[in-house]
Amino acid sequence: MKKSLIILLFGVFSSFTMMAQSTIVKGSVKDAASSEPIPDVTITIEETQQSTLTNGLGEFIFSSNVPLGEQVLRISKTGYETKRYPIIVNEGQTVNITDMTLDIDITGAEDLFTITLSDDELSDDTSGSDNISGLLSSSLDIFQRTAAFEFSSSFFRVRGLDSDNGSVLMNGIEMNKMYNGRPQWSNWGGLNDMMRNQVLSNGLGASDYNFGGILGTSNIITRASSYRKGGRITYSSSNRSYTNRAMGSYASGLLDGGWSYAFMIGRRWGDEGYQDATLYDSNSFFATIEKKINEKHSLNFTSVYTPNRRGKSSANTQEVYDLKGIKYNEFWGDLDGEQRNSRIKEVEEPIFMLNHYWDISSKTSLNTSIGYQFGKIGNSRLDYAGGTNPSPAYYQNLPSYFLEDGDLEGAYEAEQEFINDGQVNWNRIIDANLTNNISGANAAYVLYEDRNDDKQLTLNTVFNTELNDNIILNGGINYKKLDSENFAEIIDLLGSTTGASNIDSFNQNQFDLNNPDRVAFEGDKFRYNYNLYANELSGFAQAQFKYNKIDFHVAGSVTKTDYQREGLYKNENQILYDNGVEIDNSYGKGDKLEFTGVGAKAGLTYKITGKHLLNFNGGYITKAPSIRNTYTNSRESHDYVGKINGVNNPDINITEETITSFDASYIFRSSIVSAKLTGFYTTIEDANEISFFFTQGSTTGFIQEVLSGVDKEHFGGELGIEAQVTPTIKLKGAASVGQYTYSNNPDLYVTSTSDDFTTTEVDQDGLTTVNTSGVVSTSNLENYKVAGGPQTAYSIGFEYRDPNYWWFGATANFFDNAYIDVSPLSRSEEFYTDADGLPYNDYDPDVAEGLLKQEKFDSYMVVNLVGGKSWRIGDKYVGFFASVGNLLDKEYKTGGYEQGRRADYRALRDDVSNTKRVFGSKYWYGRGVNYFLNVYVRF
Amino acid sequence: MNSIITNKKIMKRTIKLLMILMVSVTITSCVQDDDYTVPNSLGNEENEQLNELLSRVDNGLADEIQLKTITEVRALAVQYEAITIESEIMVKGYVSSSDETGNFYKEFFIQDDPTNPTATLKVVLSQADTYNQFNQGREVYIYLPSLVIGETNTGDDVITIGGKIDDFDNDVLAMTANQIPDHLFRSSVTETLTPVELNLSEITESHLGMYVKLIDVQFPIGLAGLPYVDPTDDYDSSRPIESCGESSTFVMESSTFANFKDITLPTDGKGSISGIINKTYDGYDLVLQLNTTDDVVMDGVRCDPLFVEAFETDFLTWTNYSVTGAQVWSPNTYGNPGKCAAMSGYANGSTTANEDWLITPAIDMSNVSGAVLTFQTAMNYSGNVMEVYMSTDYSGGDPNSDGTWTQLSATLSTGSWNWTDSGEIDVSAAAGGNLFIGFKYTCTSSTSATYEIDNVKVIAQ
Repeated sequence: MKKSLIILLFGVFSSFTMMAQSTIVKGSVKDAASSEPIPDVTITIEETQQSTLTNGLGEFIFSSNVPLGEQVLRISKTGYETKRYPIIVNEGQTVNITDMTLDIDITGAEDLFTITLSDDELSDDTSGSDNISGLLSSSLDIFQRTAAFEFSSSFFRVRGLDSDNGSVLMNGIEMNKMYNGRPQWSNWGGLNDMMRNQVLSNGLGASDYNFGGILGTSNIITRASSYRKGGRITYSSSNRSYTNRAMGSYASGLLDGGWSYAFMIGRRWGDEGYQDATLYDSNSFFATIEKKINEKHSLNFTSVYTPNRRGKSSANTQEVYDLKGIKYNEFWGDLDGEQRNSRIKEVEEPIFMLNHYWDISSKTSLNTSIGYQFGKIGNSRLDYAGGTNPSPAYYQNLPSYFLEDGDLEGAYEAEQEFINDGQVNWNRIIDANLTNNISGANAAYVLYEDRNDDKQLTLNTVFNTELNDNIILNGGINYKKLDSENFAEIIDLLGSTTGASNIDSFNQNQFDLNNPDRVAFEGDKFRYNYNLYANELSGFAQAQFKYNKIDFHVAGSVTKTDYQREGLYKNENQILYDNGVEIDNSYGKGDKLEFTGVGAKAGLTYKITGKHLLNFNGGYITKAPSIRNTYTNSRESHDYVGKINGVNNPDINITEETITSFDASYIFRSSIVSAKLTGFYTTIEDANEISFFFTQGSTTGFIQEVLSGVDKEHFGGELGIEAQVTPTIKLKGAASVGQYTYSNNPDLYVTSTSDDFTTTEVDQDGLTTVNTSGVVSTSNLENYKVAGGPQTAYSIGFEYRDPNYWWFGATANFFDNAYIDVSPLSRSEEFYTDADGLPYNDYDPDVAEGLLKQEKFDSYMVVNLVGGKSWRIGDKYVGFFASVGNLLDKEYKTGGYEQGRRADYRALRDDVSNTKRVFGSKYWYGRGVNYFLNVYVRF
Repeated sequence: MNSIITNKKIMKRTIKLLMILMVSVTITSCVQDDDYTVPNSLGNEENEQLNELLSRVDNGLADEIQLKTITEVRALAVQYEAITIESEIMVKGYVSSSDETGNFYKEFFIQDDPTNPTATLKVVLSQADTYNQFNQGREVYIYLPSLVIGETNTGDDVITIGGKIDDFDNDVLAMTANQIPDHLFRSSVTETLTPVELNLSEITESHLGMYVKLIDVQFPIGLAGLPYVDPTDDYDSSRPIESCGESSTFVMESSTFANFKDITLPTDGKGSISGIINKTYDGYDLVLQLNTTDDVVMDGVRCDPLFVEAFETDFLTWTNYSVTGAQVWSPNTYGNPGKCAAMSGYANGSTTANEDWLITPAIDMSNVSGAVLTFQTAMNYSGNVMEVYMSTDYSGGDPNSDGTWTQLSATLSTGSWNWTDSGEIDVSAAAGGNLFIGFKYTCTSSTSATYEIDNVKVIAQ
């Protein structure tokens, strides 16, 4: 199934020299409609899994180790329907089949994925879920395709793993963000036609480009000469994330003088998606140009620019959903007759890359790339330093808050108010600022953006050589340098002329003591301002061996990573005094953190026969924690995991995460059925998790919650099966059954600069302040389930493909064993100890057990339909397809988290015993019935 | 060749087509932009509602509304009761308090005039950060039907308008979020309030809720370095204010939620403090509650006494000289306030003849040209009148033989434990040297008065 991998292994080295007595299979492939030759078609001899690529004239040849007798050639290329040709091979003879034809895949299925989930959602920090499905959309593996197309809207994660375990490359340059290790999908969103050439290496399989993570590597190739000549215009309509999409693309094919180019323009827009007021405003521009200098050298320049803005939606408590439904979004309100969403994510990070392709010999190549990406990510939100919390779903506005006090009348009024309005009151916000203008008070509210302005330079070189027919060596060196500016910037003063004071409204501390009492206006930075610097130098080496019965590979890698923070503000919250001497933990450069990661992996495929194959993989990887999982409170301080309030804790050392993974598969392929059954076992050790929230109970304040040394265990099985029961009907099935759990009780501490955590003493030597937060305890997480999508998923479906160019399909997908993200703080000693450190005197372990039981979401079934038709008019195609998601309009939770706000025994017990919980868990719901419609012209 | 040309044509046409398509799409499809200009309609609704109500004032029609003064509205209140207002009346006032610093919470006061207020009302509402809507000086109309008048804490005498009644104890409860838009209206007018200037002794219940300015005051020097709010307090924190020209003191009370709680009290000068006169939570005492620390202006030179003794700690630095009799000056807790020094010849059911002097430590007057003595006394029972003396050369022995003593004329308590100001007694004779004050208590074996002394001060002139 690792078609794409093998393409590269053999494709580059296809030999046209042959011996006199060689057994040879050769031929050519052309487009059924245009009769133009098709390059880069993968030709595979099914029994031996040997494969090769067609050249620019559509020609291919197998000249060594060709199996004899009845064989099946599989001819496939993305965008075309795969075909299988039976042939008979006799020893010493040449089989020549020219002009095999491929039909364009009229389903346009490659588009389906990107509309199942918008690419923004794939790494949407607001949904709390993270999705690796984007990695898999180009996979030919049945299970992986099902995961991408059918499971992704349920935020299913393959093997329960976060997307930072997979690499997304563009022309060999890694696009995963150093901040969180995840790909920022929106950086190339809306460029479907140009992002279609993807080479996927699955899991721990060999990748020719890098060492990769345990979920594999997907390399997007934007080399201008790789695009099929022609253009395409697409219009789409949907109620999922955007309402309209228009795209146009054109590729030149190879022109005189060795030039080729391709470009694309796209726009996606809409005032709201499925959730209320989730506006979408995205433009996409892409251009790539290649100059083939000679047979050995080629240069390619690619630029990608996809500025996009998107309105976010909120996770809500069940109380809110019950009152307002699953489309409800608390972030917006009406202003002057228009929906205004206060939380907009804006991403504008153009990418430029220059690639040099050097075929040193027919068997050896060196590809060198330089990539530069810069720009900004902004997440807007309302600051309410001088006003009440503007959230209409703020707990004090909801019926539960009144019911807790037995105020039925108040609860009723709050309920009516929330049902009838329940949105952000922009008029009140602006009026408050205008009122403050009169008295000269600072702005009560401002709209600001949390900004992330990154500049990243990547240098990369990859070497491939084919030692002989059986052995391929790969190696590469990669260097990344990140300069990240992080700050909050006021984007609108909302009517205020007095500006916002740069003071922490919780405790009146200065955000920047170097510029005390500064007033910030539109375009000014405030609240926090710091830089992060990161460097990563890595190298990998790999050997791949291919024989008739056995293929195997081994690979190793070393990665050196360093991080450093530089505070540009001196935050008063982070200043302590020791006998009158000031200790600052915020300004200037912090500790330089250095990590060394190593990786080793190996895989083996044993071909029992052409029908039965076994595959085994194992890997051991240590890697630096991402920046996000390193710094515990980077907006304010130099603290990182183990450095607590400026002091290194001897018991907690930040170390590399260790990932160990094994899988074994049985693959069956007959002319009708193909299937793959896989078992996997993965452990992740010494990971960190950091979160931020407000808590109240025996101690109250805004806290950073740090889990250190987290171990997780993921094991389970996957099955994908497909049967072509008639030439037109295909049945499909997939299943994933796993168990993903925490496997130890990690260290936990919380830090906070709130009053409850600070003590002050004055003696003859002067002032001494002590931050009492950061006491390390243990969070008893062992055997709790890891949150993040269903751990059990099944899919069954069929496709009907009529010879008259129409088709439809339906799937039923069943999900179970999805769990809530538990609050680690509630599972620690903090839960049952009072402020004096002793257990609550009314602590009842039986009650506690009930309170701490992990919520499991209801299982559910989602039915999806898809169908389309296309027409050929001359050498052009016109087509459409439509899909309906969640046909039965099933309401289901895709995820959620416990609010840590009432984290201790008494507070939680009292909250749970309320008629309605005031601080109940927050949930995300999947979409109800939704549609997508696509029409296109290809020429 | 032909096909190449055709292809090129097709390509050019295609590109043109694409461009036109994309440009038209970009132009025609706009989504929410970043423009947050103040909408023209802002405040219209509130204005319309207010204008509608004002048009009904004294219109002689069935829907007539009477505009009442705050004094008239206050007259509706009945002590210890919360009453729902039924008549069609409206009242106008100017917001005097501000919760900008968090020192007020879900309440504000209105007064009937920006400069010469005579009456006030408290308004309680379930809304925090009212300052950004009902800012200080804002002209506010309250449409009263169905609202409640009474007290939030029964018996505290703070006449309050609220929205609901707590039937359990007849307290007024806050206007709900639903009631506010139908009853509280702002006009576009914001007046600058002129605080009523008061000496501490002039503060009375009639100033409750008013924006006042306490003049010629300072914080006691003992509070130097302390913050506005004592961190050990749970809700409210009291800080005394003392007058320079008077012996009166007053109390400033601040919420532990006030954002200025950690700011150090300005004790390096004297001046004025503006704020709202309010009641303590128990309703017994008047206090000053700040709107903002900007209203604390200490721009004069402190007026600290050369000597001050409130007898809060045992008076160990004093000389307690017993000439005759077993009884001596001793502390008790009936002071004004706190502790004081007391002396009586009556003990264990009988009276003993006594002569007992209570003499201050040496008061340094080397750097002053004049000074006055003030103190307070309370007494009861008949007996010899206490005498007050000054000396410049006492050295710690029997005052009948040690030092030269000059009797001073002071106003003393005449009975019933009434605390009585001594009046300002000139002690300038000691200028340039040391001053000792001696309180000479005498009694006979048949009659014995009890004297208490507190708040002994010597102030430079």
